[in-house]
Amino acid sequence: MLKMKFDLDAVFIERGCADSALAARIIRSIPASVPVHHVADAREAAKPAHDARDPFGAGKRRMIIARRKTPFLMACPAGSSKFACCGYLVLTLASNCPMDCSYCFLQEYLADNPAFQLYANFADSFEELDRLIQSAPGRSFRVGTGELADSLAFDSITGISRELVEFFAARENLTLELKTKTDEIGNLIGLDPRGRVLVSWTLSSDAVYRSSENRTASPAARIAAARAVLEAGYRVAFHFDPLIAYPGAERDYVRLIDELLDNVPAKKISFISMGGLRMTPGLRSIARRRFSADPMLCGEDVLASDGRFRTFTPLRLKLYRTLAERFRKAGAEIPAYLCMEPASIHERVFGETPPRPARIGERLASTGNQASSR
Amino acid sequence: MNADEIDAEIRIMAGQRRLPPAHLERWLALDEASRGALLALARKLGLRTGQLVSALELLEEIALRERITVAEVLGRDEIRAVADAPGSGPARASAFIEALRQIRLPRLKKMQERLRAEIAALKLPNRISVVLPKALCSDELRISLQVRSRDELGKLVAALNRSSAGLTRIIEMLGGGSPGDDAKDEI
Repeated sequence: MLKMKFDLDAVFIERGCADSALAARIIRSIPASVPVHHVADAREAAKPAHDARDPFGAGKRRMIIARRKTPFLMACPAGSSKFACCGYLVLTLASNCPMDCSYCFLQEYLADNPAFQLYANFADSFEELDRLIQSAPGRSFRVGTGELADSLAFDSITGISRELVEFFAARENLTLELKTKTDEIGNLIGLDPRGRVLVSWTLSSDAVYRSSENRTASPAARIAAARAVLEAGYRVAFHFDPLIAYPGAERDYVRLIDELLDNVPAKKISFISMGGLRMTPGLRSIARRRFSADPMLCGEDVLASDGRFRTFTPLRLKLYRTLAERFRKAGAEIPAYLCMEPASIHERVFGETPPRPARIGERLASTGNQASSR
Repeated sequence: MNADEIDAEIRIMAGQRRLPPAHLERWLALDEASRGALLALARKLGLRTGQLVSALELLEEIALRERITVAEVLGRDEIRAVADAPGSGPARASAFIEALRQIRLPRLKKMQERLRAEIAALKLPNRISVVLPKALCSDELRISLQVRSRDELGKLVAALNRSSAGLTRIIEMLGGGSPGDDAKDEI
């Protein structure tokens, strides 16, 4: 039996999914003590348990296996005409995450459906992807599974990553991005991704990890995992997002980059992204209620024109510029972009107007290290 | 006063001020010394409802950021100086909230002071206004001219041109650049 790293209170299997390969794998892998309920409609189980002290946290401990009835593929929900976006396409194979970062936007985004949902018909997404590449011959797409869930958190019991890698490895114009804060890479080793699979890690300083990133792998463990998948033939990328500008942050993040570059050569990094901590008033209120002892949620943030609380601009930009400069000094032209920032901020940090989203997406999807979004 | 008496007094004040129940709960959830210290200061300065709400929020955030108690925040010299300063209660109450903001957002306040000093040093004619973004929430500087004649426009544009280097420095500071000597400043 595979080892499950996260606790579950119960598993709910919707009618019609019990015989699915995914359900069989999960049932085989979870401890016998976890009750399995068969339900006609899993929507009720996905809702928050309002009698729980922390309904969102309780939701994370209920796993639902159901059919996805809406498309798997969509544009990144963070995209907006106000921002210089990266052309990321999101493949939603799961919803919510067993880890519990205090700043996570899912606390607001999935407040009404906090259960951890996996889609038994996930293989239907492959048809959507094939239709996508047929609709735009010659174009390359970067598709990720790590927007509404961590791409690898439950991979030890679902094994979905193996099927994804095999599918993407066989398609020239698609790049899969598996985004994670875990070191759950066991299923990836031994496959041949043929340059078409990126594994990316969100990297935070130790201070942020200890204060805010509950149940995640440590930054050192994430870097070690990145090195291991790089040696196994995968491309790697890193997201410095959210960057939190606490006192001493600049020094800590530079140290983190130094540690990263000691383990992963700069020229082997496919891209980096950066994004400052941003929270809608609703998310800020939820996060502070759930994590009232986390000082990282009490930064020097002000209400910005997009309706989100962000670190005041000069401080946020100084942090971006410091990190960008550290990567420049590494001597490799690492493609870089900012998440949820306008083009003007991009220009301030990188000295250039960002290309349009589709172009950035294609460049980041490109398999060669000569690609640059800058 | 013992803890029960402090709580009773807090409830009376909350009732008088119509403090929302959630904020009363936050106040009562503080440690005993902090509850009492805030009560004493609220009475001394005559804090109004909105000021009490702001004070509670700012004090909690400062205490969390600095890992100290609210009583310790209220015992700081800069807070005591405001509380004991001469002047009207409302003026001291406003100064108290401002002092808390200064502690809560120290780098923002410092940056705003630097930028305002840079703007003042330009010595621009008073018909040119240089306005910083509110709370430095963006990197955009607003410069406006008030003119009534072509001649006046020419003079103001010339003044702006003479201040070009200084304005550029301010724009660079808004974008996270360092103002000369402070290039080594750490975040």
